[in-house]
Amino acid sequence: MADALKVSGIEAGDILASSPLDLSFEAEYLDGYLVLTKTKLALALYDKRVEEVRVFKGYAPKKKKKKIEQTPVESDVKVAVWDREKISDLKMEHQVATNLLVATIGGESVQICAFTNLYMGTMNHLLKVYENPEQALKKKEDQEEDPDLFCPICHTKYPDPKRKICPNCMSKKSIFVRALKYFTKYKLALIVMFAGFGLSAAIGLIWPYFTGSILYGQVLEKKEVPVFDFLGLSGKHTMLLIVLVITLLGSRLLNMLNSMVHGIVSSFIVVRSVLTMKKDVFASMEKLSMRFYTSKQTGTLMTRCLRDAERISGFFLDGAPGLIVNSISIIITFVVIYRMNWQMSIVASILLPLLVILSVKLKPGLWILNGRRHRAESSVNSRVNDNLTGARVVRAFGQEEPETSRFEAPNEYLRDAEVRIVKYNNRFTLLYELIQQVSSIWVWVLGSFMVLNVKSMSYGDLITFVGYVGQMNGPLQSFSWMFRSWSDSINAAQRMFEIIDAVPEVREDANPIPLTNPRGEIVIRDMSFGYDANRPILKKINLHVQPGEMLGIVGRSGAGKTTLVSLLSRLYDVDDGSIEIDGINVKKLSFKDLRRNIAMVSQETYIFMGSVLDNIAYAREGVSRLEVIDAAKLAGAHDFISKMPDGYDTIIGSAGRQLSGGERQRISIARAIVANPQILILDEATASVDTETEKIIQSSLNRLIQGRTTLSIAHRLSTLRDAKHLIVIENGRIEEEGSREELDALGGIYHKLSTLQTQSLALKELEQE
Amino acid sequence: MSKETIDRKNVGVSQEAVDQMITTRILSNDNVQFTKTEGGFLSLKSDGKEYARVKVLRLFPFTDPERYISVRDHNDKDREIGVIEELSAMSKDTQDLIHEQLALYYFTPQITKIYSIKDEYGYAYFHVMTDAGECKFAINMGASAVVRLSETRLLITDLDENRFEIRDVTKLTQKEQRRLDLFM
Repeated sequence: MADALKVSGIEAGDILASSPLDLSFEAEYLDGYLVLTKTKLALALYDKRVEEVRVFKGYAPKKKKKKIEQTPVESDVKVAVWDREKISDLKMEHQVATNLLVATIGGESVQICAFTNLYMGTMNHLLKVYENPEQALKKKEDQEEDPDLFCPICHTKYPDPKRKICPNCMSKKSIFVRALKYFTKYKLALIVMFAGFGLSAAIGLIWPYFTGSILYGQVLEKKEVPVFDFLGLSGKHTMLLIVLVITLLGSRLLNMLNSMVHGIVSSFIVVRSVLTMKKDVFASMEKLSMRFYTSKQTGTLMTRCLRDAERISGFFLDGAPGLIVNSISIIITFVVIYRMNWQMSIVASILLPLLVILSVKLKPGLWILNGRRHRAESSVNSRVNDNLTGARVVRAFGQEEPETSRFEAPNEYLRDAEVRIVKYNNRFTLLYELIQQVSSIWVWVLGSFMVLNVKSMSYGDLITFVGYVGQMNGPLQSFSWMFRSWSDSINAAQRMFEIIDAVPEVREDANPIPLTNPRGEIVIRDMSFGYDANRPILKKINLHVQPGEMLGIVGRSGAGKTTLVSLLSRLYDVDDGSIEIDGINVKKLSFKDLRRNIAMVSQETYIFMGSVLDNIAYAREGVSRLEVIDAAKLAGAHDFISKMPDGYDTIIGSAGRQLSGGERQRISIARAIVANPQILILDEATASVDTETEKIIQSSLNRLIQGRTTLSIAHRLSTLRDAKHLIVIENGRIEEEGSREELDALGGIYHKLSTLQTQSLALKELEQE
Repeated sequence: MSKETIDRKNVGVSQEAVDQMITTRILSNDNVQFTKTEGGFLSLKSDGKEYARVKVLRLFPFTDPERYISVRDHNDKDREIGVIEELSAMSKDTQDLIHEQLALYYFTPQITKIYSIKDEYGYAYFHVMTDAGECKFAINMGASAVVRLSETRLLITDLDENRFEIRDVTKLTQKEQRRLDLFM
């Protein structure tokens, strides 16, 4: 490869940046490189595929990145070279799951190469070097040393940098030990629990002996045994029987008492350990940045996580101790029956391994089927849920029948899943019991033969023996469950620790600069941001907002307006450039200062479960009731609040009184008023209210924005009447900036929007005529 | 009140622009001429207008990939020029040109064979054969990385959001299907 490039006039030493690529324009995999030097851009493609197997991100984390020189040069290389002087506007275009590198060469736009998302990062780097070599190269160096991308223990790169889990190091053992710590602090309770397990195992062990050997073999046979002498009951057989029955009754009672204690103790530990786990998870979740919540894999993680805590304690408190006690009691039982009669014990246990194999081999199939049923069930449930919540729409469109048939498919799927489970279960149970029956018949036949003919065994001993054999079945069957529970709980624990260990991306500065009584000047310099670093949403934004100024932000939906304002309060951190408040980078401010001085009223209202008072007073501690009432009045919320039967004490939120969209919005505004921030962000604050209410809110907002720096996003340009300074965002850039008149005169996007809106207003008026 | 009686002259946006925004223009053999540019893109001549670079998109990429192809003007912020209702009704040349563009745009290897699926610590590692060659990739189990497009069709998205597809699960062997049971 290097030779081929040399032939085309590219020396290895001149290369500033290079990126592999893997697609042809005909949509087939190929191998090649794009190379950038100071003066040239070169594309080198292999004739044949060099790599037979495509390996994508995460599959082989240990593999090191290949250098150009290392690639085997077995196939011919075709090289195309462009002079950088002739190229203008080199950029990446994202397609559905692939990307194109496009340039304008001599006025014509040209496809340079195509590649999958695998190389999006390296291509992006190449593009950055193309645009600004010094800065990008320096940054690259910093990045490679970024310890966050590598596992601290074995130094391999994480498969997914967003989930900092190293598959090499996160062994099941370490998770186990870590999860165990949640329970080991309840030492006394654990000891009681184990003692309980031991007791019940012991009772289980002696029970067959009492009911078999002693009852049948000694008491009923009227044998004389030294123990009876010791009890002073020699010869008094009726009395012996009574004593025996009382003993048996007593041990049963003891067993019941024991399981009661066990229940109390285990619920004591479960409740507390689950609580601690959930607390840890929640505390960690609260610290995490917004990006954690928007990255889609975590949404499901969180809900599952809460269930996971129970699953973990299930194994640790039921599974693991059960496993130990069961193993011990199986071994003891076997020793006992072996000593009673070794020939028979071998006959009895010869089929036992078969049972173990059966449950270990066949049970997993059942769990897969169970999982299938579970998914089918949840799809039926969600269908039902959809349908019930959308009942009004379904009726309005007369869609009752299609809805019913839409419901049928998942329902049938569920039925099939159920049928398969029952079938499978039947097969399993049948086989399992068959083996059990066969082995117990063997024991009976052989035992009867011994009792009757060989006389090497008494009737009582046979009963005892059969009792013991029967007792081995229970623990055996529980082994297969234990297997499952183990892997389940380890997986659950792993998911939980993942959240607990997640490092917040937006971190507070260790020595924050205090911000008291800010003027509210906002300066944004060369700022770029994307939810995925390779796909920028905002590009090179430069903006200066004077203290006390109202900035109107206009743009179509999806242009990046809300993103821009969330960066101000550091819900996310910018990728490039900076945002400053009063000349201080927001990254240097403490979260407390930052968020106390910025309040947001957005289209998404957040009403939590609590009283109206709590909801309004949320933003600031120690607010007086009068202040709350004043704020509500300003927000136009006072009237509807007073009219509710419980006034300001009305419980609102998910389980409380339902509020309309406009009511929720007005409560959010009141909250912002109470917060009394120097910087106010209004993100479509009046989007979900009627025109009448909008007027009320608008007038209260007008009072609110006096003397504050306000960033206002609005669809309806009329909302921004008072903004002296407007920006239009389009495709992540500030396309137009200035006053209303200036923008109108530009004849661009703003002009188009404003004429369209006046037009629709005019239409409305016409229709009303 | 009917549209015609509304006087829009006062308002400033041309009638044409409004019409363009609200009506779908159907493109057919009679009114389009696609050509491939030297740079590898498509250009279009249609009703006397020339578009130096157009983009073609499927409106129903999964359920109706050969119909309803949206043709957009790349140099005018991807504004829609029109929709091809039935690709097979277009001339052979046009079909080939458009197919070539679509193939790259929607590049999604079809999985034909599953060698192994390993599920570990929240990731699943796939080793498969596709119509584009053998591939190894990893997906995130917690995310909705495997989407069921229909009863038998699966779309799989890897960590980088590269896409892979299984057209018909039932065409795989029983053993391969069982490997997929985790996701079904």
